[in-house]
Amino acid sequence: MKIRTIWGITALIGALFLAARPAPAAPPEDRFIHVQVSGGNSKDGDVNVNLPLSVAEKVLPTIDRGPLHNGRVTVDSNQFQGIDIPTIVEAIRTSPDSQLVSVKQKGENIAVTKSKGNIIVHVTDSSSKGQTVDVTVPISVVNALFSDAQKNELDVAAALKALDDAGDTFLVTVQNAKQQVRVWVDTHNQPQ
Amino acid sequence: MILLGKIALGLTAVTFTGAGLLCSEGFVNVNVNEHGRTDKQREHIHVIAPALLVPIAVRLVPDDKLANAADKIQPWLPTIRAAIEGLGDSPDMTIVEVSNAREYVQVAKDGGSIVVDVANPRETVHASVPLRAIDSTVSALAAAETNSSPGASAQAQLDN
Repeated sequence: MKIRTIWGITALIGALFLAARPAPAAPPEDRFIHVQVSGGNSKDGDVNVNLPLSVAEKVLPTIDRGPLHNGRVTVDSNQFQGIDIPTIVEAIRTSPDSQLVSVKQKGENIAVTKSKGNIIVHVTDSSSKGQTVDVTVPISVVNALFSDAQKNELDVAAALKALDDAGDTFLVTVQNAKQQVRVWVDTHNQPQ
Repeated sequence: MILLGKIALGLTAVTFTGAGLLCSEGFVNVNVNEHGRTDKQREHIHVIAPALLVPIAVRLVPDDKLANAADKIQPWLPTIRAAIEGLGDSPDMTIVEVSNAREYVQVAKDGGSIVVDVANPRETVHASVPLRAIDSTVSALAAAETNSSPGASAQAQLDN
């Protein structure tokens, strides 16, 4: 009887201990970058690439080749031509949503817009190719990318991290009569 | 009789332990089906081997034979290791898929393995290699490079 009582108390303490433990935090949701080339002719075919952003974030800093080192790309100092890009990005970030640039020339329309925390570039080509390009980049990603621009470096690793935090987004869509290219980020491990 | 029983028990334990160790890293599976016009042209190769044997085989190759491959892989070692670690933590997924009228290629992560499938009019190939085996093999290659490089031997002499 005594042994039964001891076992009962032990089980009760164990149950109380388990109940008192905080529920384990849900693991952060993986995000994936997808590249899809589709609608090509039968020779070129279709291409799908799906990569977890966490893998890209781990791999990128290990590459030390050419201008890429430690997750950063060194650019020629002449490339920025003395333009203070971080200040411009900050000015865009704090400005209200609006069309920033609009260019029309020889059958090509280019529009750069700020909308809902994104910079959107829309290019339409009304020539025979009839190509449409849409680039949507969260301002936080642009900010992270150019955070070290004064050192003539683009911080690609920081941009990837910002992209991971930014949520589901379409980054690039290129559409012409023959092919469609899409680059986007979401939580699905297969194209949806 | 008791002695024989003990020996049999010992042998059984060694056999099971050895088999367990051999299977601990999973299996490499390679399946190649050639699509020839005649039966003689149709070849079928199917190899299933314990993945543990791959890095061991690499270690058995003389270092000078591996030096070239090791030299090429050495700069990419941190990248390969980071990719393996990252993929190990990722869910199962198709990483790359390319298809056209003549060929279909898929690279996927399935369980703890990287699976490559190729299908074209000539052949169908299926290869599955555990990530842990890739990691061990890369480490074995790196060790070969360390052993064969003159810089490493000079460093070893300095250390002594």
